Amino acid sequence: MSNIIAGDANATGWRSAMQKFGGFLAGMVIPNIGAFIAWGLLTALFIPTGWLPNEDLAKLVGPMILNLLPLLIAYTGGRLVHGQRGAVIGAIAGIGVIVGTSIPMFLGAMIVGPLAAWILKQVDKVLDPITPVGFEMLIGNFSLGILGLGSALGAYKGIGPVVTWISDRLGEVVANLVSSHLLPLLSVIVEPAKVLFLNNAINHGVLAPLGVQQAAAEGKSILFMIESNPGPGLGILVAFWLFGPKVLRGSVPGAIIIHFLGGIHEIYFPYILMRPVMIIAAILGGATGVTTFMLLGAGLVATPSPGSIFAYFAMTPKDGYFQMLAGVLLSAVVSFLVGSFLLRLSKAGSDDLEEATATSKKLKKG
Amino acid sequence: MSKISGSEVTRLIIACEAGMGSSVMVAGMVKKALKKTNVSVSHSPVNQLAGENPDVVLCQRGLSGRAKQAVPEVPVIAFDMFLGDPAIAKVIDAVLNGTMISDE
Repeated sequence: MSNIIAGDANATGWRSAMQKFGGFLAGMVIPNIGAFIAWGLLTALFIPTGWLPNEDLAKLVGPMILNLLPLLIAYTGGRLVHGQRGAVIGAIAGIGVIVGTSIPMFLGAMIVGPLAAWILKQVDKVLDPITPVGFEMLIGNFSLGILGLGSALGAYKGIGPVVTWISDRLGEVVANLVSSHLLPLLSVIVEPAKVLFLNNAINHGVLAPLGVQQAAAEGKSILFMIESNPGPGLGILVAFWLFGPKVLRGSVPGAIIIHFLGGIHEIYFPYILMRPVMIIAAILGGATGVTTFMLLGAGLVATPSPGSIFAYFAMTPKDGYFQMLAGVLLSAVVSFLVGSFLLRLSKAGSDDLEEATATSKKLKKG
Repeated sequence: MSKISGSEVTRLIIACEAGMGSSVMVAGMVKKALKKTNVSVSHSPVNQLAGENPDVVLCQRGLSGRAKQAVPEVPVIAFDMFLGDPAIAKVIDAVLNGTMISDE
């Protein structure tokens, strides 16, 4: 079975490199998703158009998105590079980019947090061996404090304005994609990248930070829905259940529950990798979803993670359920229809039937 | 290539990209299968494997190269499917019966 799966055991290839870089970006965001959800729920409840509009409680919304979330990202980014000390200096540098701007500074936090931690790491490497016994705490605290001061100032005056400019341009690119109705084309990149396990990199490393910027300004963002839509995966799994190789069918119902309800999309990637042509179904399903979301003006208030239908419901603004459900269901239907067609097409001259049977025996044994 | 006898395994780590989604799920299933042994089963992001001191690593084939790079001395067993993959079953068998685990 392994030879049909586009498995890449090569640790130096482009795919690993992208995974690594994207994984690093996502690694700063994913541990903090709970905070994003708290913010998303707070927004959905208390802003003027929310379920329980409350001017007083809504005061929490701004400081959380502008200060707390970027600080958490800078802190986590620093911790990835240099442990607890890195985390602290990451947060100090993070405040520098936050103060310098009025947008949620996720991109800036993702840069200055790890960068400040990296600098501290290099300084610690020099200072640690020459620190006299008994002076560890003094030198440790002041090296971090002084470097922290420097990185906060550098982030505020140097990096902040540059990143603000870049964020603004990226925001414009997204706005242009939306206004010129080109957003569905993203599926052509996103869906194949997703099944190569670049899903977290794309969603949490790129789309979510841009989406938060949009959500802070407009109350919701479609960018949260591009990678995380559980519809296309659902359609593909159902197609495999009904028309896939018999050996696989048994495991599909469990996979459907884990994918659609549990939100662990990874579970359907191997099915596509096994029949790479099925990526066409994923792309068309994904593009259908994005088109529907775009035309109906759908959006989510914060990142739905994991990409479960439950998370979708929780993150949908009060007036957005129909739009959200329409996109999820249509994408599932399209990927199911295209997927079923492709599976039946490839069934006739299937060259991997023997292999599939062999695997089936193995599976039954195991 | 690295190998270890199933009877010497005390720490089995399932790795995934974020260490919070699919690896947790697989770890839960493996843990259940190895409940009667004293093997500790847990999960980790692939880039933090080195700090986990695993005896054996299980991960999806798409990440196995990076896992191997993180812990070159440790057998890294790649699986394809998250449910019912024979590679996972084989590792569980090997631990229960003390046979060889190898990532040739």
